[in-house]
Amino acid sequence: MQGELNMSSTVTGFANGNLAVEARNMHVFYGSFRAVKDVSLKIKTHAITAFIGPSGCGKSTVLRSFNRMNDLVATARVEGEILYHGNNIYSNDVDPVEIRRRIGMVFQKPNPFPKTIYENVAWGARINSYKGDMDELVENSLRQAALWNEVKDKLQESGYSLSGGQQQRLCIARTIAVKPDIILMDEPTSALDPVATLRIEELIQELKKNYTIIIVTHNMQQAARASDFTAFYNMDEDRAGYLVEYSGTNELFTNPKNELTEQYITGRFG
Amino acid sequence: MSPDTSYPEGSALKGQIVNRHRRGSAWQLAFQVSTIIGIIALIALLYNITNQAFGLVAIQNKVEPSSLVLAREEERLLSAANTVTSEDDNELVAGIASDATAIGFFGYAYYQQNSDQLKLLTVDGIAPTAENVANETYPLVRPLYLYTTADVLAQNQAANVFLNYYLTHVNEEIADVGYFATTDTQLSAARTAWITASGLDLQPGQWAAINPEGISGQLSVVGSSTLFPVNERIAERLATAGFAATVNLESVGSTAGLRAFCEEGTADIAAASRSITSAEFEACRENGRLPIEIQIGTDALAIVTSPENSFTTNVTPQELRTLFDTATTWADANEAWPASPVARYIPGADSGTLDFFAATVFPIDLADLPKDTLVELLAANISVGLGRRLEREQRFYDDRLVFDDPDLFAEACASDEPAAGCTMPARDQENVYELLLQEVVAPDVVSAWSLMDSLFARDEVETFVATEYPNAELTFRSWLTLDFITSPQSSTPEFAGVRTAIMGSLWVVAITVLVSFPIGVGAAIYLEEYASPSFINRTIQTNINNLAGVPSIIYGMLGLAIFVRTLEPLTSGALFGIGDGTTANGRTILSAGLTLGLLILPVIIIAAQEAIRAVPQSLRQAGMALGATKWQTIWAHVLPSALPGILTGTILAISRAIGETAPLVVVGASTLIFVDPDGPFAKFTTLPIQIYQWTARPQAEFRNIAAAAILVLLVLLLSLNASAILLRNRYARRA
Repeated sequence: MQGELNMSSTVTGFANGNLAVEARNMHVFYGSFRAVKDVSLKIKTHAITAFIGPSGCGKSTVLRSFNRMNDLVATARVEGEILYHGNNIYSNDVDPVEIRRRIGMVFQKPNPFPKTIYENVAWGARINSYKGDMDELVENSLRQAALWNEVKDKLQESGYSLSGGQQQRLCIARTIAVKPDIILMDEPTSALDPVATLRIEELIQELKKNYTIIIVTHNMQQAARASDFTAFYNMDEDRAGYLVEYSGTNELFTNPKNELTEQYITGRFG
Repeated sequence: MSPDTSYPEGSALKGQIVNRHRRGSAWQLAFQVSTIIGIIALIALLYNITNQAFGLVAIQNKVEPSSLVLAREEERLLSAANTVTSEDDNELVAGIASDATAIGFFGYAYYQQNSDQLKLLTVDGIAPTAENVANETYPLVRPLYLYTTADVLAQNQAANVFLNYYLTHVNEEIADVGYFATTDTQLSAARTAWITASGLDLQPGQWAAINPEGISGQLSVVGSSTLFPVNERIAERLATAGFAATVNLESVGSTAGLRAFCEEGTADIAAASRSITSAEFEACRENGRLPIEIQIGTDALAIVTSPENSFTTNVTPQELRTLFDTATTWADANEAWPASPVARYIPGADSGTLDFFAATVFPIDLADLPKDTLVELLAANISVGLGRRLEREQRFYDDRLVFDDPDLFAEACASDEPAAGCTMPARDQENVYELLLQEVVAPDVVSAWSLMDSLFARDEVETFVATEYPNAELTFRSWLTLDFITSPQSSTPEFAGVRTAIMGSLWVVAITVLVSFPIGVGAAIYLEEYASPSFINRTIQTNINNLAGVPSIIYGMLGLAIFVRTLEPLTSGALFGIGDGTTANGRTILSAGLTLGLLILPVIIIAAQEAIRAVPQSLRQAGMALGATKWQTIWAHVLPSALPGILTGTILAISRAIGETAPLVVVGASTLIFVDPDGPFAKFTTLPIQIYQWTARPQAEFRNIAAAAILVLLVLLLSLNASAILLRNRYARRA
């Protein structure tokens, strides 16, 4: 185990000013079941970090721990620390509502609100007491999400009237409207067709200029294509997920240090 | 390689598939049958209600409106200036004959006897010829009747033979007396009625064959003086034919004759120059002497002047009215006539002829009479006690009292609860007319028929009414009318309405919804979104599920114990100083609404929980991931998405509350209440309670209005549901 922790140290080479969020010895439990075991990693700002691994390896659980979405599961419990701006987001004096405002999330299946396109984007800003021009914010967010040209004439139509790929971009626009630091993406293209997937990938490349992005993906090509860093998770014999290897994407795919990683990226399991 | 035999192949496969299809078809058929049974049940229900709510009714007035005003009209005729009145028609004949400015009327027979001394006027150009009288184009005609009963015909052979002989030979005599023969149709109808009633096995052809010779016994024929000469002639002819029975003929007038026949039972046959009135008919029926009516001829009134009258041979009905009423000179009635004073000759007050003339020439519609006259008629026909009560409800005149003592009335007005009549403006003409109709004329539904009978057995119904209630009017009646919906409760089914009950139902349901909807949805939100799965919460959940199945009467007892008794100061309004705590005692709309609120609370909670649970988790995550608090997410996303489902459950629950009876009986809905509820602290009744009570009444008409009330309830239910569904669809579309 200790060896694997050392592996992750291959991406410690960036300055502290570039540290977006860091997990230290994090364990996640669902009731008495340990879902994630002893994960430590640092995420670089304005970069795309991909989490890959076989089904059930805990990569999504790790992702959700970064903005305390696991709190919604009554039995979930997190041990260890996740440091954001030097503070443990799991300490008692931290309000998860604030964390989620800073660390947004895009889900596997597009889940727009059953409201108008405009309201989908504006709602998050409104409940967070946004003081600027709302129309401008909606337009900018939709532009950043590369959706503006497609929806500018039908802002008052339901979010459900859009196609799957458009809905997912709407969810991204909704997320960036509250101006987060970090956007967590939980397999954002798994429910989309290849063309829509490609558009989202292009969009993510654009977004990294302004946001730190952590993306969970099932698709190794996507991780290889689109990310700067890649973390590979696997599960042990107790079905607890753990971090196997974490390094620059090029390095991980061309020169994996761990045998399991090599087996996985060459398609021999998973 | 040997073929795989673990699955059927070939024809076995086909047979096996056909079998599976067959099994599916059998189930489909079973489901279709259950659907059809459901539809049949629904149709049967609607049929049953509709059958009761619409149909023929026989309506009979307690007092005929015409008879109410008849006496007044006669009084006016008799007291008109320059009028000669006599009970002796010969006096009238002599008077008219000698006076060139005279006009008068009497039975046609007297004109016929004295036609050389008199001039007969046509009415509207129509002369009283046999033809004009038979087809009733001449306006002043009246039928002549004999009345007898089936019992007399069956037991008194002499009466039987007399009547048979009468019907066979009356047309040979009647014209000679001065009346008009009945048409063959009328005579044939009379004969049929007579044969049916007598119970004799006779064909019409055998009529003349009955030989009166040697028949002995006794019979009395009492009544109209008009018919007396005819009766006399028939009796004489019978005597010459060898009829040995003693025939007692009396000429006492139609009214006295019918009294002797119906009430005293001393007459076997009554002779009448008018139709029997409803009151007389009822008197007959009460004494077990259901009358059979036989028309034996028609009389006409002759309008006559002196032969010396040279200026007219005709009068119009309007001229007739003026001549016998307000005219002082002939010119008052018609400008073409001379301005010489009119001399009026009319039969006396006891004469049926005057009755007939007054009623026919001066037809009065009560609704057109002035208010003063209507008040007088009312005062003459109702008790002082009732008059006082009506006067305290609303006065007849602003400046004087008709029934009540001024001191007593002032005292009643000075009390803590002054009567409504103290302050309300006086009744208008229309109002008094309605009172007169309701209290004096009192049209009463004497019998009612179902829709099916009305449509398919109309002939039987008509025959029944003709024999049982000849004075009743048979009309098609929808018991469900606008009046029925807008009238308050009444103890008379004809006047009863459901307004009080509808208001009660709406008030109770409003309270029910106001209580149960917020509490129910709130509880559902807590249980679904906030409650952790602890033992206590699981226990609460189980109990809510069980409460939904508790019989409603239990809730009624709970409501009685808690809302009516324990919380009486609150539910009677005494705590707030409103409401009348002494009468309602907590048995108020508020208590009922709270009770029904408790009753449907579990249903709403469960429905709301289901709806909230059905909102996808991803929606909650999406909200939370934007930095929304839990409540913001619930309010903005979970509730709107769940609302259609919540409303569906609420609609079902409200429907149940509207139709609920048992708990309200326990909580104390009023059995008979005439006052609309005016707030949550009022006494009340609801539609189902009203229906329940009406169906339990002995009078058949209450079942008709109960059916009509059920239709109202159904419509109320459907419209409340429809509006709730519209509301729901609006929310569903917005999502």
